[in-house]
Amino acid sequence: MMERRLLREPEQGWTAKLWQISWGYVLLLCLLAAVGYVALYAAGNGPDAYANRQALRFAVALGLMLAIALIDIRLIARLAWPLYGVGLALLVLVLRYGHVGKGAQRWLEIGGLQLQPSELMKIFLVLALAHWFHRAAWERVGNPLFLLPPALAILLPMALILKEPNLGTALITGMVGASVLLAAGVRLWKFALLAVLAGIAAPLAYHHLHDYQRARITTFLHPETDPLGAGYNIIQSKIALGSGGLWGAGFQQVSQSQLNLLPERQTDFIFTILAEQFGLVGGVCVIALLGMIVLGGFAVALRCTHPFGRLVALGIATNFCLYALVNIAMVMGAIPVGGVPLPLVSHGGSAMLTTMIGFGILMSVHVHRDVEFPDQRD
Amino acid sequence: MPAQGAGAPRQGAVPRMEYVRVTAPDLARRAALATTHRRLRAAALCFLLLFAAVSLKLADATVLHPLQPRAPQIARLPPEEHDPTPGSILPVVANAALPHRLRQMIVDRNNQILAVSLPTAELYANPREMIDTAAAADQLKRAVPRLDAAMLRARLTSGRAFVYLARRLSPQEELAINDLGIPGLYFQPSEERHYPRGRLAAQVLGGVDVDERGVAGVERFFDRDLREAVEPLRLSLDIRVQTVVREELTAAMVQFHAIGACGIVMDVRTGEVLAMVSLPDYDANAFGATPAEARFNRAVTGMFEPGSTFKLQTAAMALDSGVAHIWDQFDAAQPIHIGRFTITDFQGKHRWLYLPEVLAYSSNLGAAHIALAVGAERQRAWLRQMGMFARLPIELPEAGLPIVPSAANWHEVATMTIGFGHGIAVSPLHVVRGVATLANGGLLISPTLLAQPALAEDEVARGQRIMQPATSDTLRRLMRLVVTAGYGQKADVPGYFVGGKTGTAEKVGAHGYKKHTNVSAFVSVFPMNAPRYAVYMMLDEPHGDASTGGFSTAGQVSAPAAGRVIARIGPMLGLLPQTADAAAIEAGLAIPLQPARGGGIAHALAPEHPPAHHAPMIAPAPARTADPRHDLRHDAQITAPVATALYLAPSDAAR
Repeated sequence: MMERRLLREPEQGWTAKLWQISWGYVLLLCLLAAVGYVALYAAGNGPDAYANRQALRFAVALGLMLAIALIDIRLIARLAWPLYGVGLALLVLVLRYGHVGKGAQRWLEIGGLQLQPSELMKIFLVLALAHWFHRAAWERVGNPLFLLPPALAILLPMALILKEPNLGTALITGMVGASVLLAAGVRLWKFALLAVLAGIAAPLAYHHLHDYQRARITTFLHPETDPLGAGYNIIQSKIALGSGGLWGAGFQQVSQSQLNLLPERQTDFIFTILAEQFGLVGGVCVIALLGMIVLGGFAVALRCTHPFGRLVALGIATNFCLYALVNIAMVMGAIPVGGVPLPLVSHGGSAMLTTMIGFGILMSVHVHRDVEFPDQRD
Repeated sequence: MPAQGAGAPRQGAVPRMEYVRVTAPDLARRAALATTHRRLRAAALCFLLLFAAVSLKLADATVLHPLQPRAPQIARLPPEEHDPTPGSILPVVANAALPHRLRQMIVDRNNQILAVSLPTAELYANPREMIDTAAAADQLKRAVPRLDAAMLRARLTSGRAFVYLARRLSPQEELAINDLGIPGLYFQPSEERHYPRGRLAAQVLGGVDVDERGVAGVERFFDRDLREAVEPLRLSLDIRVQTVVREELTAAMVQFHAIGACGIVMDVRTGEVLAMVSLPDYDANAFGATPAEARFNRAVTGMFEPGSTFKLQTAAMALDSGVAHIWDQFDAAQPIHIGRFTITDFQGKHRWLYLPEVLAYSSNLGAAHIALAVGAERQRAWLRQMGMFARLPIELPEAGLPIVPSAANWHEVATMTIGFGHGIAVSPLHVVRGVATLANGGLLISPTLLAQPALAEDEVARGQRIMQPATSDTLRRLMRLVVTAGYGQKADVPGYFVGGKTGTAEKVGAHGYKKHTNVSAFVSVFPMNAPRYAVYMMLDEPHGDASTGGFSTAGQVSAPAAGRVIARIGPMLGLLPQTADAAAIEAGLAIPLQPARGGGIAHALAPEHPPAHHAPMIAPAPARTADPRHDLRHDAQITAPVATALYLAPSDAAR
C-alpha cells in the first residue's frame, strides 16, 4: 500500500478495483432497495403495480453505479466543470421545453427516459465545487474574491430550480453546496452572516412564493385549517402513522393507505406505508438504515486522502441525508410538504437513477481514495 | 487487497512526506486537513442527531400521541370485492360498514337537550371515474345550488383521482346528489353539532371545531366521553334557572351599563351548579366566529377581588377558631393608617362595632381588626381549606388559578385587607362555594356540572366537614341580618328568608385602583332557615342611575337582581314561599345588631366569658398627613412589598 503510493500509483486493473469496492456499503444500498420493494408491494396491493418495475430499475441502476465506481476519480474531476455546464443547460432546457406536471416544469423526456435535471444538477454542483476547492491553497479559501465563483455556482442552479418552481429542491441544493463550502474550510462567521441574510430575506421571499408554496407553509403551521384541502395529505399520513403503533398493523394489513385515503402513497408518502405496517420498530429500523448509509458516506470522506474525494463524498452523503430527513419529517408533519421522495424507496426511475449515479461517484472516491492528483501541489 | 468496510478510517492517511521534510505548504495542508476532518465529524454528528430527532418524532406519531381518525374512514373506491357470504367479509368492508356513531347529546338535569349532533354527509369524487366532469359539475350545481359552480368545475376537471367537494350536506341534498347517478361521486357520513338554545349556557357548553371535536367548555372536558359514550351527558344545569339568571343579568347589565356580568346558582348541599351565566356570551352554534371576549367565562376563569363578600369568611374563621366571640367589639372609630395607605369605612359609623354590626354595615375597619385577631397563619389555613388557593374541581378546562399573595408577602397589612376581600382574587365560583359551605352546616362541597344523585335522608350535605355546625348556624343568622338590616335589603324576597353579603371591589387599573369602576357582587343563600341554593349575581363596571341614587355598589345594583332571580326560581325548584309561619321562622333566624340585656337570642348567644374589647391591634398612627383620598381602595399595592415600614404593635390576639 505505502509502497504503491511511493511508486506513484501503478495502474489498477478493473478486477483489482472491483475488490476495492466496499461491498458492505453496496449491501446496505441493496437492503434499502429491498425495503422499497416491500413498501411498493404494499402500496400497489401486489408486485405488479410498482414493486417489480422498481426492482428492475434498481438492477439497472446498480449496474450503472458499479460501472461508475470503476471510473478513475481523476477523470471525473476533470469532467466536473463540463458536467456542471451540462447540468445548467439541462435546467435551462427544462424551463423552455420541460414537461409540465402538477403545475411545475421539472421533467425532461429524453428518448423515453424521464429526467429531472435538478437531481443531476446537485451531483454536478458537488463535483464542480469540490474541483474548485481541491486546487485551492488553504490561504486562498479565506479570500472573499476566491469564494465568489463557487457562491455563484451555487446560486445559479438554485435560481433556475426556483423558477421551475421547486422550492424544496432549490433549498436542498443550496444546503448541499453550503456543506461543501463548510468542509472546504470557509470560515464559520461567513456562514453565520449568510444565515442572518437568509433570515432577513425569508419574509421577502415569502411574498414572491407561489400560492401553492405559501399554502404548504400555512398548512404546515396549521394543518387543521384545511383538513379537506392541502392539509389532507398530512392528516391522513398522521392518522396512518398513528394506526401503526409500536409493532405495526402487519404486512398488507392496513386501513389508511390501502383504502386509497393517502394520495401519492407510492412516492412521497412511502414511509407512511412502512411505518403503518411495521410500526415504530420498523420505522426506526429504516431510519437506522438510512443513517448508516449517510455515515458510510462520511466514512468514505474521512478516509480519502485527496481533498476532491473528501468534498465529493461529503456532498453526496449530505444530499442523500437531506433527502431522507426532509421526506421523513414531511410525512410526519414536522416540516412543510415539499414533494421530496425518499431515495431508493419511493417509486420513480429518475430519482433512483440519479441517486445511484451519486453513490457510484461516492464509490469511485472510495476505490480511488489513495490516488494522487497530478496537480495536487500547485 | 482485501475488501474494506466503508467506515474504517485508518492511520496513515497523512502523506508520508512529513517524515522526509516538512514545508510551510505541508503545514498549511495539514491544518486544512484537520479543519476538514473536524467539520466532517461535526456534520456527521449533526446529521446523526437529526436522525435521532426524526426517530423520536416517529415514536411520538406512532405510539405516544397517535392521531385517531375522527370517524371510521371509508375508501374513495367502492369495495367492489364485496362478498355476500358471511364470514368472508374483508376487514376493509367490515370497517366501511360500521355505522357512523354520532357525538352524544348533552342534556340538562331535566333531560332538556342542550347540544345534539345531526347526521350529515361529506361529498368527494374521483373525477377519473367520471364520464363527463364538466356536465357532472353542472348537474351538482343544479342539485345543490349552494355549492360554488367554479369550485366544482375546477376540482372535477383537475385530473386528480381524489377531490373533496362539499361538507355538511343535509339528507335531502345527499338524496338529490345520489339521484343524479353520477359515477365517481362518494359520500362519507359526517355530523354537525347543534345547540338548540343558542346563547344559553354557551360558555358552559363551550363549542366544537369543524371536526366536531370539543374545543372549550364541557364539550372539551368530556370530549372523549361524548364521542364514545352510549348515554347522553346529563349536566346539573337547569335550563329554566339558567334562562332566568341570564334574563335578570342581561336586564341589570343593560340598566346599569355594565361591561359584563356573571351569575351562578348552586345547590349548597350537593355542589351542583344549576346555572352559570357569563355575559357577554355567544351563540354556541358559531363558536368559531366568536371573539375571545365573549368566550371568557367570568364564573370560573375571571379572577376578581371578592371584596366584602369575604367578610363572611373572616367572621367564620374568627368564630370557628374561638378567637372572637359574637359579642366582641372591634374598633371602627379610627381609620387605619399603614404605610402609605389608609383603611376607612364606606359610610362609616365612627365607633366601636359589635361583630354583627361589622357585617351588617360592611365595616372594613372591623373586618381588618377581626382578621388581625385571627392572624395570618390561621387565615391562610382557613382559606386554603376553603379551596381559595387552588383551581376549582369543576368540569371545565377553563377553570383558573386564584391570584393569592405568597406566604412571604402575606404581611399583616395583607392579613387585614384580605379580611375584607382585597389583595386576593378568586373566581366567582370560589366565592359561591365558600359561602355555600358556610351556610350548609360547614361541609366543604365540590362544585360540579354533572347531575348528582339525590341526598340520602340523613345527609346534611355532600362534603367534608371543615367547621363546626354551630358556627354555620351563626353565619346563617349573620347573612340574614345583612339582608334584614344591612346593605343587602334589596335582595329580600318575602317567604324565602334570603341571606347574603354584598361585595363591591374597585377594579385594578394600570395605576392602582380605579375610582368608580367597580365589580359589584351579591352572594346569597335561600331559604336561610334550611339553606338549599346559593345565588350569586355580579356586575362588571356598572354605573349607578337615578333608581340607585347614583351608586353602583353591590347593594344597589346586584342585590335587587339576586332578589328577582330568587323570586322566580324558587317556585321552579319546588320551594314555595313560607308565608304562613314567617314570623316564627324569622324569629328563629334573628340576631340583633347589638347584644340585648337579658333573654332572647342575644342571651342564647351570650358569651360564657365577658366580651373582649378587640382592639386596638394597631398602635395609634403617628402624626402624619395622610391624604384623605388614600382610602382603602388604594390598597391593591398594600399586598405588594410596600408594607415594609409598618407601624404595628406586637400582635396580641388573646388579650
